[in-house]
This record gives sequence, structure tokens and C-alpha cells, in this order.
Amino acid sequence: MKLERAAMALPAHGWQLLPLRFHRLDPDSVVLTNLVGEHVFVTPDELSAVVDGTCSDQELLARLRAAHLIQVPGETLPAELLAIKLRTRMRRLPDSTGLHIFVVTLRCEHTCRYCQVSRQSAAKNEFDMTEETARRALELAFRSPSPQLKIEFQGGEPLLNFPLVRWITAEARQMNAEYGKDLAFVIATNLALLDEEILGFCAKEQVHISTSLDGPQDLHNGNRRRPGRDSWQQAVAGIRRVQERLGPDRVSALMTTTEASLGRAGEIIDAYAGLGLHGVFLRPVSPYGFALRGRGGANYDVGRWLEFYAAGLDRIIELNRQGVPMVEIYASIIAKKMLTNADPGYVDLTSPAGIGIGALVYNYDGDIYASDEGRMLAEMGDRTFRLGTVRDSYADIMLSDALLNPLTESITLSAPMCATCAFEPYCGADPVFHHATMGDFTGHKALSAFCRRNTAVFTLLLRRMRDDPYFRDLLWRWAQ
Amino acid sequence: MSPAGGAPGTGTEATDAGAEIGLVFDQAVVNLDALQRAAYAVAAEMTVDIRVCGADYVCTLFPRGPDAAHKTLQHRFRAEVNDQVLRVRIAKQTEPLRNLVFALAFSRTGLADGDAEGPA
Repeated sequence: MKLERAAMALPAHGWQLLPLRFHRLDPDSVVLTNLVGEHVFVTPDELSAVVDGTCSDQELLARLRAAHLIQVPGETLPAELLAIKLRTRMRRLPDSTGLHIFVVTLRCEHTCRYCQVSRQSAAKNEFDMTEETARRALELAFRSPSPQLKIEFQGGEPLLNFPLVRWITAEARQMNAEYGKDLAFVIATNLALLDEEILGFCAKEQVHISTSLDGPQDLHNGNRRRPGRDSWQQAVAGIRRVQERLGPDRVSALMTTTEASLGRAGEIIDAYAGLGLHGVFLRPVSPYGFALRGRGGANYDVGRWLEFYAAGLDRIIELNRQGVPMVEIYASIIAKKMLTNADPGYVDLTSPAGIGIGALVYNYDGDIYASDEGRMLAEMGDRTFRLGTVRDSYADIMLSDALLNPLTESITLSAPMCATCAFEPYCGADPVFHHATMGDFTGHKALSAFCRRNTAVFTLLLRRMRDDPYFRDLLWRWAQ
Repeated sequence: MSPAGGAPGTGTEATDAGAEIGLVFDQAVVNLDALQRAAYAVAAEMTVDIRVCGADYVCTLFPRGPDAAHKTLQHRFRAEVNDQVLRVRIAKQTEPLRNLVFALAFSRTGLADGDAEGPA
């Protein structure tokens, strides 16, 4: 046995570095990542010894070899395995575009303080999508190579134009008889207009409901204003009706963090748990649209949001320890990227960016945008991410400069700082955010709130994985 | 100019004359690429002027905030330079393998075979 171990031992300078990047988590801890994000924790001295070729810790060298961070000179298998894993992570690219967002109306009966679009009063029908526009948009959507098509109805409040939601669904089913794609439908609604007719339709068509819930009643109603000041009551009643009629997994909720949310992470998560919701997405407010104007709720910096996020994660871990299943959605997306070779395709955390490739947005007036955030910028007068209209050809849309320029200019593998960042395999390009906040698609990452927020979240998750076996197991479960 | 008071391995010398914060790096130890990368990475805390002076790079640090401690900024920049030196070294050592992995990964996608239909 001893002879075998001696034979396997790597002598000094007996290994070769594979492409690796490092990030200092703490003064005495460094994480090393390979090209696809597999990682190993080491000390600063161990990092130096591995790079210098003087490391004699055979157990560490074995772990580094297993994680494709070093190899024995002459080996070919590690490079081949890394290439397979890299290709697996990129396989979503030729299968673009899976998500097609139909803005069926700009009308809304809510006046949410952070709303990112220029909502219109519920009576102005000129802000509704027409059947002709919807038909052309569907024809473009079905041209996408993706074998899965998810059609998401957004607004405004899409249920204010429910007849068109019904029409698009029927038309899509009919067109799909020719294409044979895996078709799914989502309605993003505040649920205030939910009635039996809509519930029956959702049951028949297997529609998923995505709604907004900012947490406890006072917080939600303070953010999401409507006549009667009963947005929370309507949302909660709607969630329960959907759960009962369609099933508990057919409704999910999203929250937006305003400055009023800070310090209330535990209450927000408990509100979700109390409704039987098993996932919460602790999202910062977006730097677009009305959120930036006056009382939009965006008056906090990255540091304060990170405190909120860490407190929320603590509460979620505590609930799981108590046997209450609860997932933090953002951490679960990152966990999939950290711990598996799959790429969940979340638009903000992909490179090349997810705009156009991951999602296309068909506005009520027939304009097409590369992402929902791109549409929000257009509402502010910046049409940079407008790709064309539903009257253009699929090739004109997908090969437009408006799409290809931000995609190519923002690729993280060649962006300053990103290219050498240990978190590059977990992160994304997000040219819309950087254009909106810095005026160019790449952004200066040392000054980028996107970079600061994600670097801090990755660091937080890695530290907890390193120090807490329970959390590491939990993240593994979330990644599956 | 010999290293004095600098971090091990980078050959640096620090000066602190009034509002001007200086750091000197030996060109034999630190390459310009690493220095420029470090200056880019610390841009939220300071801007950095880099000049060639004989066998040295002379860096002048300009804090963005009025309350930044000079010593803290010097340590911050020196630590960043150390990391960037290491990153440049690792990148240089691993570049051929990195190129090999990418070539293997993308040579088998079918995208270059003409069998993938382009959008009409």
C-alpha cells in the first residue's frame, strides 16, 4: 500500500497548471476555480506552493487533479474532459431562444412605486397589443431553434387584455401542431383580476402563474398601490385560489427589495412560507424606469442590499433546518453553475449575455426588444436594445447590430477583470445593466454595482459552503 | 533602485509626501501589464498614475475619497499588484492548454460544418 501511494505521489515540479483563476475569500483562504467553475479551497501558502511547483501535500495535489486544476505533463484526458464540460455549459447557445415575452397591454390598475414601465390607465385601449401584431410575433417565436418555447404574458397587467391572452394561447397551440415544440405558458399577473373564467382557462391550458409578493401586508401595500389599498389581500387570495385549483406548484411569486424592505428579510420570507410558497427570489430593485424616479424605492446601495440578502439567506437556512423547505432562487441558480455542468440560462448570469439568445420581448406596439430591461430603457427614451418590429424577418432581428454589438462587446471571457476573475464561470455579462448605468456594454467592472453585488454573493455562498456542511448539502439539493 | 519596505517579491518602495502617495516597483520584478491590471482593479478606491523612471515604475496613487488612509491605499494597491503578477504568471503558463480546451470544445459543435442551418 505504501509503495502504491509512493508511486502515485507527485514530486516537486511534477505537475502542470491547468487554466485556473483565484479569489481571496479571507486572509487565510483562497478559492481556485477551473474553466468551468469547479473549485477547491486552499490557503495562500498552498496557492504559492502549487504555482511554484513546490507543494508536497499529496492529498491537496490529488484534490487539485480531480478538479482539473493541475495535471501530470503529457496527460490528455483533463483537457478533453474540460472541453466536454465547457461545451455542455454552452449547449444552450445553438438552441436559442426559449423565452418569448408578450406585452399584451401597458394598461394596469396598480401604480407600484418601483414600476419599471410606463403604465397606462386601465381605460386606454390604444396600449393593447392587436391580434395582427400577436400573430406576427408568434410566427417569429416559432422560428427560434429552441425545442422548448415558453410564452410569458406580461404588461402592464396582462389580465386586462385577457381575450388576447386566450387568443395567443389558442393560436400558439394550433401553430405548434406543425412545429412540435415543448410549449409552456406563463401569466405574470398581480392576481387582482383573477376570476373563475381565468382560473378555468389556466387549468385547461396548464398555465403557470407568476405573481408579485413583497412580503407582509404593510410592506406590500406600501410598495404596490391600487385603488382600495388592497393589493396584498388580492395577491394572497389569488395565490391561495391558484394553489387550490391548479396545484401548489403552479404559482410562484417574486419580490422586489425597496428601502422599506431592508431589515425585514425574515418577515418577508416568513410571509412566503406562511402561504406555502417554497421559493423566494431576493431581488434588488432594477436601475430602470420609474424605480429611479423620485420615490421609486431604489434609495439604497449595494452594501445595504447585501446585508438584507445575507439576513434572508440566514432565515431560509434556519427554516430548512426546521424542516420547512424553502429555496432562495438566486442562490439556487448560482449553485447550479457552481456545482453542476448545466447552465440554467438565467439571463443576467450568462455569457454571452442572455439578451435575444435567452429571451425576446414583443411589445404591445409590435416593437421587439432584446430583454425586458431593454424595453424598460426604451420607456425612458433609450431605444438601444430595440431589435426591430414584428414586421421584420427573423434573420433581421437576430442578426441586427442592436443585438450582436452588445453580445460581442460584453463577453466576459475577454472583458477586463472578468477574464481573470475566479467567478467568471458563475457570472454574466449583462450589457443592458452596464449600458444603463455606465453608458457602454462592457462596463468598468471595478466601478460596477453588478460586479460588486455578484462578487459579494459568490463570496458569501462559497464561504458558507466551506464552513457549513449543512449549507453545502442544501446548495447541492438546490442545484439539482 | 532597490526594494525597501515593499511586499516580498514585488520590489517596491513607498513614499508619502503630503497629499501625494507614491509606490515604486522594480521593472525586473513587476511587469507593466500586471501594474495596469492592478490600477484598473482598484479604480473604485483610487486612480493610479504610472510612469517609467530608469529601471522602475513609479506609481502615484490618488484616493477617490477624502478620508482614505495613505498606508491603507498603499497596502491595497501593493496587494493587488501581487495578485495581478500571479495572475499574469498563471495565464502565461496555462495559455496553450486554455487554447487547446477551447479548440476542443468548439471544434465539435457542428457550427463550422455547414450542417447548422442559419436563420432565414
